[in-house]
Amino acid sequence: MSYAHPEVLVDTEWLSQNPPNESRKLVEVDYDPVNGYQKGHINDASLIWWKRDINDPVTRDIISKKEFEALMSKNGITADTEVILYGDFNNWFAAFVFWVFKIYGHENLKIMNGGRKKWELENRDYTTDEPQISPSQYVAQPPDEGLRAYLFDVSRGIGKEDTVMVDVRSPAEFSGQITAPPEYPMEHAQRGGHIPDANNIPWATAVNDADGTFKGVEELKQNYETKGVTPDKDVICYCRIGERSSHSWFVLKYLLGYPKVRNYDGSWTEWGNMIGNPVEK
Amino acid sequence: MLLDLPILEKGSFYFIKDGNTSLILEDKTKRGLEIKETSVDENLKVESDKGMIHDMDGIGHWVPIRWYFSKDSYDLSTVLVHAESMEKKYSELRELTCPQDED
Repeated sequence: MSYAHPEVLVDTEWLSQNPPNESRKLVEVDYDPVNGYQKGHINDASLIWWKRDINDPVTRDIISKKEFEALMSKNGITADTEVILYGDFNNWFAAFVFWVFKIYGHENLKIMNGGRKKWELENRDYTTDEPQISPSQYVAQPPDEGLRAYLFDVSRGIGKEDTVMVDVRSPAEFSGQITAPPEYPMEHAQRGGHIPDANNIPWATAVNDADGTFKGVEELKQNYETKGVTPDKDVICYCRIGERSSHSWFVLKYLLGYPKVRNYDGSWTEWGNMIGNPVEK
Repeated sequence: MLLDLPILEKGSFYFIKDGNTSLILEDKTKRGLEIKETSVDENLKVESDKGMIHDMDGIGHWVPIRWYFSKDSYDLSTVLVHAESMEKKYSELRELTCPQDED
């Protein structure tokens, strides 16, 4: 059985045989470009730096439509361009950028399965040369808010039978034992635990540990359906800052074809810091 | 196990433990950080366990978690100098962020 939308994935071998060209752009998305893109990237890939390029520099929010259009122009992308995303940290941030591209209506969009991890495991080539890019004209669609859950959506969803929350963090984060691993001192919350009634289905249960690629359909179905995360529900995914949850959002929406899945990018750093929010441990 | 080693000296921000062949200086502020590599620390010129901490921009920085001072080359008093230097650095930082009430 194949994925609901197999067209959203390419594998490393396909990419090596089908390099970027005028109508196909390759974009590396990094959380940490200094230890990623700048040390080496796939030939002709441009860079989207999660922190700098896809987030508003002042307010905690994704970039506006106008800023998204400017980002596309800078990367030489038009509305018709086939865009292939890949990145560090198991494609977490590539999935986040995929989500933002979809919010602004980009159609022809794919993820390279396995990201940098698989490319490196296969000892494929990197370069430090940056591509010469001619700016493009890009007109984005109005934001599709149906892909995004806000605090009030989550609050309203608590206790509703037709809504299911998927907490994709580690069991230690879910139980409140830790609020963030020590290597991310900026991502802590005042309270540990999870949103009441959320299901803990860590993002990693959707991938093959060896190379970071997505598991097959049957395994994915088993992973989610047995915990009550079924296609007839309104599904809201969250994690700590919304990047791992965009990875699970991608799995549920595009690989399993669930009709209503939203990413709560406020995630635990919003929920666990708000006064009065209910917390379960 | 490093946890089981006898503690020779300790401060608010460090332990010095007695290893078989080395005196081990541990930075207590790095407890829990995953060891990603063991290599020579450029500042102290001894083997150290290193982890990575990400700053506000998401950029990873290598940081030492503990240092291994060979007993052949270093004695406790030398290691203590490094430990107290670390203690002073963190104490000053704490004073900046959470100053003690002087009244």
